Amino acid sequence: MSTSPLTAAQQALDATVPALELRQVRKSYPGGVEALRGIDLTIGHGELVAIAGPSGSGKSTLLHIAGTLERASAGAVWIDGQNTAAVSDAELASLRANSIGFVFQQFFLLGGMSALDNVATGLLYTGTRSDERRRVARELLERVGLGHRLGHHPAQLSGGERQRVAIARALLGQPAVVYADEPTGALDSRSGAEIVSLLQELNREGTTIVVITHESHVAAAMSRQVTMHDGLIANDSAGPHGR
Amino acid sequence: MTSRLLAADIVRVGSIGLRTRRLRATLSAVGIAIGIASMVAVLGISQSSKADLLTQLDKLGTNLLTITPGESLLGEAATLPLTAPKMIARLDPVQQVATERTTDASVHRTSYIPAARTNGISVRAADTDLLATLNGTVARGVFLNEANVRYPAIVLGSVAAQRLAIRSLEGGPMAYVGGRWFTVVGILDPLPLAPDIDRSALVGYPIAQELLGAAADAGTIHVRIDPDSIDEIRPLLPATANPENAEEVQVSRPSDVIEARAAAETAYTSLFLGLGAVALLVGGVGIANVMVISVLERRSEIGLRRALGAGKRHISIQFLSESLLLAALGGLTGALIGVLVTAGYALARDWAISIPAYAPIGGLVASLLIGGVAGLYPAVRAARLSPTEALRAV
Repeated sequence: MSTSPLTAAQQALDATVPALELRQVRKSYPGGVEALRGIDLTIGHGELVAIAGPSGSGKSTLLHIAGTLERASAGAVWIDGQNTAAVSDAELASLRANSIGFVFQQFFLLGGMSALDNVATGLLYTGTRSDERRRVARELLERVGLGHRLGHHPAQLSGGERQRVAIARALLGQPAVVYADEPTGALDSRSGAEIVSLLQELNREGTTIVVITHESHVAAAMSRQVTMHDGLIANDSAGPHGR
Repeated sequence: MTSRLLAADIVRVGSIGLRTRRLRATLSAVGIAIGIASMVAVLGISQSSKADLLTQLDKLGTNLLTITPGESLLGEAATLPLTAPKMIARLDPVQQVATERTTDASVHRTSYIPAARTNGISVRAADTDLLATLNGTVARGVFLNEANVRYPAIVLGSVAAQRLAIRSLEGGPMAYVGGRWFTVVGILDPLPLAPDIDRSALVGYPIAQELLGAAADAGTIHVRIDPDSIDEIRPLLPATANPENAEEVQVSRPSDVIEARAAAETAYTSLFLGLGAVALLVGGVGIANVMVISVLERRSEIGLRRALGAGKRHISIQFLSESLLLAALGGLTGALIGVLVTAGYALARDWAISIPAYAPIGGLVASLLIGGVAGLYPAVRAARLSPTEALRAV
């Protein structure tokens, strides 16, 4: 498949534009640390991918760059066909608001705010009206099995429930790709397993999900495994260029 | 394409910090509130007091002039010619003329008190027109009139009556004046334009000459003049009163004293306003302090918001609006407290409540400005935080 940047016209024609595409991505930090040393990775729409590897292998840096939270030192990153190198910080923010969802190990729910309002925050920066945000948020909370916890504050929820709220928030804008950074890292094994099956279920319904994990059983539960080592992809279960 | 934060959501996002940390928000708003309250109260009280003085002045009139003989070139007390009051009365714009003069006598309740102990009360001979010229009123009894000026009758000024402990005319109180008993026939209300008269006991000219050895000439001449002509007539008065020695004659306007008092209060007002401004400044520093801490504590929230699509702009707007809300909260509360304090003080003093509109409005504007300045640095700092750095903080 083509690796050249896609224009908007090509995008419209090419239904197979990947959700995420990285070409020769490098990231070095001041002081000479090279976190990524040339990553090629393509993830198509509808995939459920695990990025695994020991700590220090560069998977967090990969997540930050693929999520546009950080810019690559070299190489190119396309998200849903958009080249992220050529755009301003404000446009990157817009890309995150509209095309990317994040789930974090520490949940990062806002205290003093109900589960419903926390989920609704997922659309806050898209310019969607508040009543519309809450309507969609309610639907999503019901979809992740928390229809009975709409008015609860984060402090009143269990760890697993908090992570479900965070997942609902990430999915709210129907993003092209959802990144989950160690989503089970702060949970007991039972809640962790429930979160894994929720991610599988959401993927079956069409959401592209990339899970960063160091737990091998979580990685094994995903349909494709990418293993990283020393800033390089050591192994990709789908082959060097994905599907 | 850029991400957007609706205007309606700015207040919602900006008030999160206040809603979740209420005690801290209240305490930091208190500083601003104290500053604004003191400034509004100072301006309100000073304006109410000034308004009261001016109402008083309106009632008393600014067209009263007082003419005194002054001193001769050699520093001796001068006298006015006997004709002075009549000459002045002939000037067209002069509406009323009345004279009074001090005597050497003193006034007491009993004959056992040495005459030298005057208690600060002087005995004066006065015209029957004096009270009308001064726009005064009697609290009890009557003023001097054609019927009583030839008899040992005496009228007490308000302060004199107080010092002699004569509060009513019941039982026919008597006063011992210059070795004779006088009947107290009247007590005056206070005369703000002639405080000397408040501290005097007044008797008629004829009886003063007969019993107290007073001279017949006028010591002081009080003149009511048509208010429109007062500036033209004032320079003519010395020569009219004493054509031979016009330069000795002194003309004063008692209402100037009250106006000077109003001006003196303005000086105090600026002092207290300055203190209020210092309180406001300290309040602003308090808000800046709280905002800096808030940004440090909420790094992960900032990271999350960046991940959700907030631009740098949205982060700075959030913290700036939080600071503005805090300051507005303090400013509103302060303006309200200031108005209440003014109202309470004015009611206690029996003044009409008068608060300049610019005080509460200016207070609010000032607190918003302070809030904006205090929030600027924390807001910029929050916006500069890189998303990954913010997310790393747990």
